[in-house]
Amino acid sequence: MRTMEGIVTILQESRFQLTDDAGVSHLFILGHDTLGEPDQLEALQRRQARIRVRYTEPRNLIGLVAHSVETTA
Amino acid sequence: MTEMKASTLGPEEAPPAPPSATGGTLGQHREWQGPTYYGRPQLKQAPFNNWVVGGYIFLAGLSGGSAILSALADWERMEGTARRGRYLAMLAPTLGSMLLVYDLHTPQRFYNMFRIAKSTSPMSIGTWILTGFSLFGGLAAGLQFLADRMPWRRWPRRAARAASLPAAVAGAGMSTYTAALLAATSTPFWAATPRALAVRFGSSSIASAAAALSLGERPGPRQRALDAVAVAALAAELAAASGQHRQVEQAGVSGATEGRWGQAERIGATGIGTMLPLGLHVLSLAEGGHPGLSRLASWAILGGGLMLRVTTLGVGDVSAQRPETSFRFAQPDNLPEGKPRRRRLAAR
Amino acid sequence: MDVHARAQDYTESELSGMIEDESELTAGVRIVPGRSYGFFTDTTVCIGCKACEVACKEWNNLPADNVGLSGHSYDNTGALSANSWRHVAFIEKHTGQDGAPGVRSTNKTPYQSGWLMLSDVCKHCHNAPCLEACPTGALFKTEFDTVVVQQDICNGCGYCVPACPFGVVDLNTLDGKAHKCTLCYDRLKGGLEPACAKSCPTDSIQFGELPDLQARAEKRVEQLHGQGVSTAYLYGTPGAPGATGDLGHLNAFFLLTDKPEAYNLPSAPTRPANRVAPSLAAGLAAVAGLALTALFAFNRRS
Repeated sequence: MRTMEGIVTILQESRFQLTDDAGVSHLFILGHDTLGEPDQLEALQRRQARIRVRYTEPRNLIGLVAHSVETTA
Repeated sequence: MTEMKASTLGPEEAPPAPPSATGGTLGQHREWQGPTYYGRPQLKQAPFNNWVVGGYIFLAGLSGGSAILSALADWERMEGTARRGRYLAMLAPTLGSMLLVYDLHTPQRFYNMFRIAKSTSPMSIGTWILTGFSLFGGLAAGLQFLADRMPWRRWPRRAARAASLPAAVAGAGMSTYTAALLAATSTPFWAATPRALAVRFGSSSIASAAAALSLGERPGPRQRALDAVAVAALAAELAAASGQHRQVEQAGVSGATEGRWGQAERIGATGIGTMLPLGLHVLSLAEGGHPGLSRLASWAILGGGLMLRVTTLGVGDVSAQRPETSFRFAQPDNLPEGKPRRRRLAAR
Repeated sequence: MDVHARAQDYTESELSGMIEDESELTAGVRIVPGRSYGFFTDTTVCIGCKACEVACKEWNNLPADNVGLSGHSYDNTGALSANSWRHVAFIEKHTGQDGAPGVRSTNKTPYQSGWLMLSDVCKHCHNAPCLEACPTGALFKTEFDTVVVQQDICNGCGYCVPACPFGVVDLNTLDGKAHKCTLCYDRLKGGLEPACAKSCPTDSIQFGELPDLQARAEKRVEQLHGQGVSTAYLYGTPGAPGATGDLGHLNAFFLLTDKPEAYNLPSAPTRPANRVAPSLAAGLAAVAGLALTALFAFNRRS
């Protein structure tokens, strides 16, 4: 599983946009196997926390599926 | 530019008639012959895993039926039958619940089912039926266990008998609510026959329970009595099945039954699961109880009960996928007669 | 030009912040909790630009799916799904005036070409079958009389999917929740017109208060009839096709010029919840009858 770091710039329900260090934005869906709830992302977005996302690329979809989200120091 | 008027049409080009909802392309019993959207499905099929959910519906029926038969058996002093029935009824609360949670797409939130109770949602009704059934059925099975361990004490057996009654009532719900759950959708094959489907599921539940309990009996009067119950239930199931097929045809959705799932329903559920065991049981009972025939029939009933649930889900999926079927089902002639609101207005 | 008086308040092209009650400027309606809101989709002015689809995906942060070409005219979205809450249907009419199939007619009624286009969306039914089916209460009626799935409650049982008579609600197996159009619930709370309606360049999608929209739609049908488009009719208003079977009216309703089926809409959908009681009653009666039979059989065992 790959990882990506960045900050949450858009949040809609369980879908969020992560902007990485290069300034490129990626669309994520919070997978059903993540332990957190989407409303926890809201706090992370509000304080523009840096997060690390472990993700997979689903087929036939222009977007990524996040399997775990954690804050980085 | 908004001045283009009807008069710009040539006299021989009369404007087309407004499309009536029925459209004239509708023959009785026939599928939808009119336009479809590139043959794409008009409905979405249920995202259920047919074997998992079908397995649960089967176990719910088997357990519910067992709870009913064990309560009745206790009443008629068939204590061994009652005992086995109480244990058998634990299949739905244990294995069945696991299947249900497994089929959720966010299983860690299964407890949200207990947030509300809603009479318009058979899945909510079913949640509470299963909860009540697990409670009373579990109580009855637990007390039965105590009674088995302490045969010199009377109270556990009496208490088990008392707990059996609410468990049997919940068991009746367990055997039938699953049919209401399917009927209260927009999937044509399920929605076309709310009553017949429920009678079929209910009868199959009693037949399955009688078959499973019969397998646990030694040849004799108790097994014959259980086999007689199975015969009655199978006869009811067969009648409901024929009613269901007739209504499905009248609603114009029988096209969905032509594929593999429909074939599996006819051969597996109706043929091997109902007609065959009905014949075998009648033969066996005519001989005063033939253990081999009885056993074979019981296994056929159990296999057929599972097939009935799984194929019903499968044919439903086909009916949702075929626009010819779903458009035909959603024609005015299939509307419930006299909508309640209209009736009330007319009465005023 | 008919410009709202409040537009005079904003003469600068650069705005310092959000415009309060912006929908008053863009849709001519103030969004007040407790009133009924919906969409009137007039298919006769749809040009198939898919701006609504894009606006919806942008606002709701929905990913593109089913990447590829369908071969079904210009429709590569295909259907409403968990990731597509607006879907523009394209119908190329290959029937000539005399009804001959495969022949394009050379003569058309005014305002109609060989194209039919319709921007499909969740109907936000009055008696919403998905809501009535939902066992967790995740689906609810908002203060704007719209139907929304609460993502923090939905547990992905999937029962709302077959419940919907329009094939709208869909389950996303990636996040395990049911999804559908929210009629931009978050935007309505902020006084904004839903994204699709705001982006529609021909006002094919009109957002507003339901009674207003219905009156507007009736007028539009009359106007079209007067202009010779006698095939125009409403779908989803009280008593019309689509609002049948005790569903009540649809908050998102349509003006169509062909059979509903041509647009992949059912003529006479029904309210599934009305089948619960008859089904349960029949099943319980059968089980009760068989229980009596069993009692008899157990009693007379020999």
